Amino acid sequence: MKSKQVKYIWIPIIISMLLIPVGFYYVDWNKSGDGAGLYSRDWLPDAIFAYWNPDDFYQSVKSVVGVFDGQACIDCHQGVTPGIVKDWQASRHSKADEKVYCNACHGSNHEVLHLPTPEVCAECHSVQHAQFEDEKRYGFPSHALAMERALDAKHFVDKPKAEVTACLQCHSVATKCDSCHTRHKFSAAEARRPEACITCHSGPPHPDDETYFNSAHGQLYLKEGENWDWTKPLKKGNYPAPTCAYCHMDEGKHQVADKSIWKFGLKQINPLSSGNEIKRTKWIKLCSDCHDADWSAQQLRTMDMERKKTWNKLYQAESILKDLRASDSLYPSADQRPAYPGDTENSLFKRERISFFEGQASAFYNVSPIERDYFEMWYFENLGAYKGAAHGDISFVNKWHKAMDISLEKIKHNAETLRTLGKVETDKTTTKNIWLKGEYTDFNREQN
Amino acid sequence: MNTRLLKKYFLTFILGIICIQIQAASKSVPTGIIENKSCIECHEKNNPQLIKDWETSIHASTQPVTNCIACHGKRHQEAASHARRDSICIDCHGGKKAPVVHSYTSSKHGIIMQLEKNSYDWQQPLSMANYRSPGCNYCHLHGADHNVNSMTRKSLMDENTTDEIEIKIRSVCQDCHAPRYITRLLANNENMLEIARKKVREGAKLVDQAASKFDEAELKSAREILKSMQHHLRNVYLGAGHQSPDYQWWHGQPALDGDLLRIKGLISELHRKKNRLTH
Repeated sequence: MKSKQVKYIWIPIIISMLLIPVGFYYVDWNKSGDGAGLYSRDWLPDAIFAYWNPDDFYQSVKSVVGVFDGQACIDCHQGVTPGIVKDWQASRHSKADEKVYCNACHGSNHEVLHLPTPEVCAECHSVQHAQFEDEKRYGFPSHALAMERALDAKHFVDKPKAEVTACLQCHSVATKCDSCHTRHKFSAAEARRPEACITCHSGPPHPDDETYFNSAHGQLYLKEGENWDWTKPLKKGNYPAPTCAYCHMDEGKHQVADKSIWKFGLKQINPLSSGNEIKRTKWIKLCSDCHDADWSAQQLRTMDMERKKTWNKLYQAESILKDLRASDSLYPSADQRPAYPGDTENSLFKRERISFFEGQASAFYNVSPIERDYFEMWYFENLGAYKGAAHGDISFVNKWHKAMDISLEKIKHNAETLRTLGKVETDKTTTKNIWLKGEYTDFNREQN
Repeated sequence: MNTRLLKKYFLTFILGIICIQIQAASKSVPTGIIENKSCIECHEKNNPQLIKDWETSIHASTQPVTNCIACHGKRHQEAASHARRDSICIDCHGGKKAPVVHSYTSSKHGIIMQLEKNSYDWQQPLSMANYRSPGCNYCHLHGADHNVNSMTRKSLMDENTTDEIEIKIRSVCQDCHAPRYITRLLANNENMLEIARKKVREGAKLVDQAASKFDEAELKSAREILKSMQHHLRNVYLGAGHQSPDYQWWHGQPALDGDLLRIKGLISELHRKKNRLTH
């Protein structure tokens, strides 16, 4: 009897030994499509993606044939695209004793030119690149993992590719260095200025620009920043007020994730975990460049309180929505919504995605209005309050907390309506036509 | 140095001398405060094309008319460099927070302009990448073409951009960007805008269909949302044109998604309420 039982143990062991390589193979197979990332087999790139994610999509033009040295590139492009030549001439690359010509980064054979990836820059700037790569061990959010984050997002895979180009423009911070050091000047001084960040760090989910410029730090920058010496490194004593990079890339370290406690405000975290205590010490040390250490610690605690208050509001809304889901009162329900070809998980287990962990980041289209209200409460209002608190703009904190209170009331009110209507039989064809058909809805299903 | 380059320098030198001679022979530049009328009178003789271009532009038909002194000021001295700066345009075009302005100022072009404008030589003509990043005028008045709206379309719901507009846009972008990049970017922008229009049309059709079943009063909120769709459509357009990811996306496409699903929500609620009453 006993020996028989031992024998059976081999069955699950053998099955799992077979399943593990199959799993790896499956993930690998998924990545081998014409797109990129985890769902690469489900989509085709738009031609412009080559310029945002060169490593995956860029191929050189074949119209010019030949192998050229640096000066030859300059001579020709002075006439073809004078702007980039002038830019290079103003850069440190052109002023070094041993000039860094075009071909050092793009290659010399015009038929197989490449757009420089961070790895190309790393050939000379290895320290900065290593710091940048080091971000990855802290997980999301980070610059180094940004492209992966975009490509693997459900809504990115689902939507027509011409629609989601903007995602890659910002998320290309992982795949090109010129997001911050614009080409072809690649200036360190430019990247130290707060404006260098705000093309991406602006708008409803991350109003870093507004909150920073409204803060006492930002006000001082706006008043005097023009006259500060931006060639100086981001170190104690060099700047009268901190900028984005002074705090998030202290001492010029190309690493923005190593002090990230609240993780962009997207999900609730334990502020007192041992990892976060280490990050907190780093913040206090940094703030102490100008402020008293106790005062700095208190600021961080205030931040914890603000987050707690916010999550209390968000969870209230979340539980209302989950109750509606449990009583089948969400309208339309998941199975009355357009099915997207790429989303196998959703087609197998149809379910409304409520909360961060269920993939709420993609729940901003083809959902019921009440879910969209919660999405906006979570993604716009919560993050507005978070950025206000983090950057020291109290007016923003108040504004968005008020907005969250209003949203919560609205959600409560609309939930009541949904419950009352919950049992109403509807004319199925009309509803079907409203939610499952339409010019964009059809196009979306056909083109992803 | 090769002979071609030498020839080029020599020709430029000769041309320069001729220009100086012509300028010396022509009437001297007026000093002091000038009237708009005298700008037109004089420039109609010296560069009639410039006046013609301005007359075709939307600036000539605004109320009040956006005339020469509106942008160039009342003095001839520094008149050109004065008008080349973004601030001249921003004052009339809604200020810093207006989407048409903010979509540009938050783009990389706008950021570089903000950071480097004090080091630019504003005497330089608006061509040949004389400025590290383009300001409003570098693109919209490229090469001093005073037809300011020659590269913008008349209606956002129009199907596609015209060849004329595309040629015009290309002539500006190619000062810095590769031809294939421009081609792909323009195609992408066009498709992106068309996708936004699809959302607007889907919403409008739903409201139209509902109009046969419900009162206008019941459809009031849905009609309001349709109006906001036009605003969000414009954001996609501005985001694409000015290369602002934020306007293409957060102020554009997902905002339209929200509008569309809310229209659907309002109309299906009307249907459900009606059914509830009838059953």
